[in-house]
Amino acid sequence: MAREKIYQEEEFPSPLMQLWYNFRQKPIVMLGFGAVLFLIILAIFSPILTPYPSTQNHLNDLLLPPAWHPIDGNVSYLLGTDKLGRDMLSRLMHGASFTFGLSFIVVIISLIIGVVIGSLSALTSGIKSSFLNHFLDVVLSIPSLLLAIVIVAILGPGLSNTVWAIVIVLIPQFIHVTRNEVKQEFTKDYVLASRLDGASSLRILQYSIFPNIIEKIIGQATLAQSAAILDIAALGFLGLGAPIPMPEWGAMLSDGIDLFYIAPWTVYLPGLAILFSVVATNLVGEGMRHALKLRKDK
Amino acid sequence: MWQNNLAKTFFSLTILIVLEGCDSINDEGLLAQKSIIYCSEGSPESFNPQTVTSGVTIDATSNQLYNRLITFQSEDNSIAPSIAKSWHVTRDGKKLTFYLRKDVSFHSTKYFTPTRKLNADDVLFSFNRILDSNHEFHNVSGGKYPFFQSVEFSKLVEHLEKINDYTIRFTLKHADSSILANLATDFAVILSAEYAEQLTKLGIQQQIDILPIGTGPFKLKEYRAGSFIRYIAHQEYWQKNKTIEQLVFDITPSNTGRLTKLLAGECDVTAYPIAHQKIIEREDLILDAVTSFNIGYLGFNTQKPPFNNPLVRKAVALAINKKAIIDTIYFGKADIANSIIPKASWAYNEDEQAQLYSVSKAKELLALAGYSDGLTMDIWAMQEPRAYNPDALTMAKLIQADLKKINITVNIVSSFEWATFLKRLTLGEHQSVLLGWSADHPDPDNFFTPLLSCASAKAGNNRTFWCNQDFDKLIQSALQTTNVNLRKQYYAKALAIIADDVPVVPIAHSKRFQARSKQVSGKILNSFGGISFVGVRKN
Amino acid sequence: MLLLTILSFSLSFLFPGNSVINMSGQVNATAEQLSLLAAQYQQNENIFSQYLAYISRIFSGDLGLSMASQLPISSEIANLLPATVELSLVALLLAMVTGIPIGFIAAIRHRKASDNIILTIAMLGYSIPVFWLGLLAILVFSIQLGWLPSAGQISLLYEINHVTGIQFIDILLSDSQYKWQAFQNAGAHIIMPACVIALAPATLFIRLARSAMLEVLETSYIRAAKAKGLTLQQIIFRHAIRNAFVKVIRDVGLQFANLVTIAMVTEVIFSWPGIGRWLIESIFHRDYTAIQGGLLALSCFIFLVHILTDFIYAALNPLAREKKHGT
Repeated sequence: MAREKIYQEEEFPSPLMQLWYNFRQKPIVMLGFGAVLFLIILAIFSPILTPYPSTQNHLNDLLLPPAWHPIDGNVSYLLGTDKLGRDMLSRLMHGASFTFGLSFIVVIISLIIGVVIGSLSALTSGIKSSFLNHFLDVVLSIPSLLLAIVIVAILGPGLSNTVWAIVIVLIPQFIHVTRNEVKQEFTKDYVLASRLDGASSLRILQYSIFPNIIEKIIGQATLAQSAAILDIAALGFLGLGAPIPMPEWGAMLSDGIDLFYIAPWTVYLPGLAILFSVVATNLVGEGMRHALKLRKDK
Repeated sequence: MWQNNLAKTFFSLTILIVLEGCDSINDEGLLAQKSIIYCSEGSPESFNPQTVTSGVTIDATSNQLYNRLITFQSEDNSIAPSIAKSWHVTRDGKKLTFYLRKDVSFHSTKYFTPTRKLNADDVLFSFNRILDSNHEFHNVSGGKYPFFQSVEFSKLVEHLEKINDYTIRFTLKHADSSILANLATDFAVILSAEYAEQLTKLGIQQQIDILPIGTGPFKLKEYRAGSFIRYIAHQEYWQKNKTIEQLVFDITPSNTGRLTKLLAGECDVTAYPIAHQKIIEREDLILDAVTSFNIGYLGFNTQKPPFNNPLVRKAVALAINKKAIIDTIYFGKADIANSIIPKASWAYNEDEQAQLYSVSKAKELLALAGYSDGLTMDIWAMQEPRAYNPDALTMAKLIQADLKKINITVNIVSSFEWATFLKRLTLGEHQSVLLGWSADHPDPDNFFTPLLSCASAKAGNNRTFWCNQDFDKLIQSALQTTNVNLRKQYYAKALAIIADDVPVVPIAHSKRFQARSKQVSGKILNSFGGISFVGVRKN
Repeated sequence: MLLLTILSFSLSFLFPGNSVINMSGQVNATAEQLSLLAAQYQQNENIFSQYLAYISRIFSGDLGLSMASQLPISSEIANLLPATVELSLVALLLAMVTGIPIGFIAAIRHRKASDNIILTIAMLGYSIPVFWLGLLAILVFSIQLGWLPSAGQISLLYEINHVTGIQFIDILLSDSQYKWQAFQNAGAHIIMPACVIALAPATLFIRLARSAMLEVLETSYIRAAKAKGLTLQQIIFRHAIRNAFVKVIRDVGLQFANLVTIAMVTEVIFSWPGIGRWLIESIFHRDYTAIQGGLLALSCFIFLVHILTDFIYAALNPLAREKKHGT
């Protein structure tokens, strides 16, 4: 049943909705957002969408250049093949689920862990909290890739170890952001108001604070996402991450180096794919921060 | 406002650096003219070729630092004089006398200054070190002389005597048709006895294989492990041909790295280039190739299950698509190997059947061996490219895909660097391995004895640990005659045993490639053995 | 600093295998030798005295042997670290020299087309994977144009004795007759890797410098200066740059850690004989002693630069000195 409007009430959207309104003002940001959506779809559905399995060898069609090549181009392999005759397009599409998809999952996992720890620590105080604070300062000053390399050194090379390493590396950022934001919000009047109403800390956290800080956390998540993509790819490139047959973009790139001069597309394409996804993520992040600033300025 | 000045200084500094960069390209000048940089594929294990078999060590040391008594003529592979100006073999083939040159001088370096020229004592020292297990230098650096052990040198030589200062005689227990060829190989180098004495006095004997003294055209100036070797010309070299002043081995294990350096002009000559097409396209580069005596194979550890069962070995052999491997790994520039002997050798048997590629037959055999549900196996693959196998890792991957079709799951082991890799293989830690062999001399025995004989299995060179008495008898008999037709018959039978028992799956006989800048002239590649920079010049 | 040593000490327990072997690198040692070492490392005591033993070994320069090459780690580090120091400092300089002025320009032209262009380029700059950029740079500048060498620190033609490890100083110290050529050659070798490393930090410096300058331009003293009728140029050069620069310097230390990580990857691509490449190879070879020692050395270096920039910051900014005690 449709509810009738009795009062001339001004529509008052939630903070997230406001953000969205501001966010979609800039076309370039929307382009980035579209690209991210595209990558997410690719990451999920790549096994259905790809023309060939990512590890299928076409031994009669080794090192075919992309289809637009005037002499050897072959339309059945749109982006060419690599030295084992694997279709580049399929591998790049599959790679989306490794490099991009995994980094997405990594960010979500570390976001959840980070936010939980961060908000808990914001509620506590004393030695534990200050120890955590100092520990975080140290960890945050170490570059994420270096830390990931160290962790991979301990765990041993491999894709799953890389993923865990990056999760661990990203958690402190989220703890830091959540903690600061929650602490800040707690000092505000509306929190005091609901506290006077008798709400428990957890309840305040859930209903009053989270809706107000979620955009900050998402902003941090986009930063973490671009770092995670670059880190997964870098570790793959160094041979510390995904093993070579896997179509992870960084590993594909390092696999292609041997053929750099004969088949440059085996290096160009994965690199472009990484660049594309990082730029798209960064665009979304920039847009988010910009929108946030506009909303705060209002 | 001093920050402004600071910033200005920064700016001018960078500009300075950039300007320098532009200058240096036109102005390499004299030094580059007198030096050659060779991009090699790996670090040598030792500076004494007696103690190794690996091609990379031979390339780096043998012809550069040392000489042998006799050598192979590069034109027709016949034996030619070197330090020994002439030699004589008795009719029964049991006594060999060598007459030495009198004008051969050793390197004079920071760590050793010779007081005399080469004489019989040096030859005696060099061979007694290998032959006599009580010799004070025998056990320095591990006491392994893999090449000599694999040809059973100490069983062959009864004794070695000095007739006078410049004459030396080998007495053999029995005639051996390959002895001269063995003495002419890159392994049979002559060391300095005087240097050894000096080291003994100082108590640092192990230095003999680390800081080498030889008679060759170059002497060691500096070696940084994993990075480079710097040789400079040996001014008193007895073969007075004008050569370069400095030879640098730039150790670059990465295939792309070597190619990049070649294309960017950072090395003059490069080992095992990839992307041949690219090199041929460039006008300032030359691609050299020699048909080399080599074999790339998949060897099974016949002491360990499941490959102690010949049926399993055969099944794997049948399931490998060699044609695909040749096209992918060797870019079609190799011959499919039907046996371990390459076509160019006189021992090659034309009747040898090409091995079949048949998945269904392989499955049958596997079922017969009791592995109808399939099995899991390890393949060891080296990281560095070799002449016989430019990319073992990719080859392993292709084999992995092939064997999947007969339900064999393959784990690829490739995390060891070369020296560790060999060490672990010698210990027999592997189940199967992608390896190969480059012949040291043109005698076909050099394929049989080092690769698959029982003696070699003990010395650790035969990494299959396969030991077949019939096979051993055949190759022994082949050595005791000089009649080529007879030898050929023996070898044909030996090959038949290998084909039947499959200790190795022969995969390819490849060519050895090398790329160089047009400025470099001279013959560097040989069809067997190591490279040589004797008489190589730069214009 | 304390944290660093604790971290690297604990690594030897975190790595798989025997911690004594991990610490000493004696892979081929016999059981007796190992127990001797264990006694030396006070393995049977509690963790704390083990740690003290570890610290005293660090100070005496004993970091164990490399498991792969069986050479002492400390000498390897002494060989390799200077090359990394050289490369990363040149790259840092380059990043600052290009990034900060461009950032200032962007801020001065705030919300104009040039500001947007600079920001877009900056974003592209830190989105490019560094290993890819390095490869493209080699392809273009070494192979196609043939301007710059692709690998190493200096052409191997030149024989330079290892004194400090910093190539430029060593060349000046050497008595080679080709000194000047060698110097130029080393210069040509460092340009490309340094530029590749500098790109990402430079874009960060652009953003830092831009926001610092924007902040400064909105302060009241600048407005006062404007009110007094100073020209924009005068304001920028006399007042704004100095104050904005100080703000940027504060972040250099943090950025430097990032830069060193990029340098590690870049060293692999340009075969730069530095500690980053060596560390990554050590990970391949599971050379735990090397990883431990290398990380320690690398983080000490980062830490030192960090402290140094703090000092410079304090020297440039009197406010910071006094405030330190206040907060």
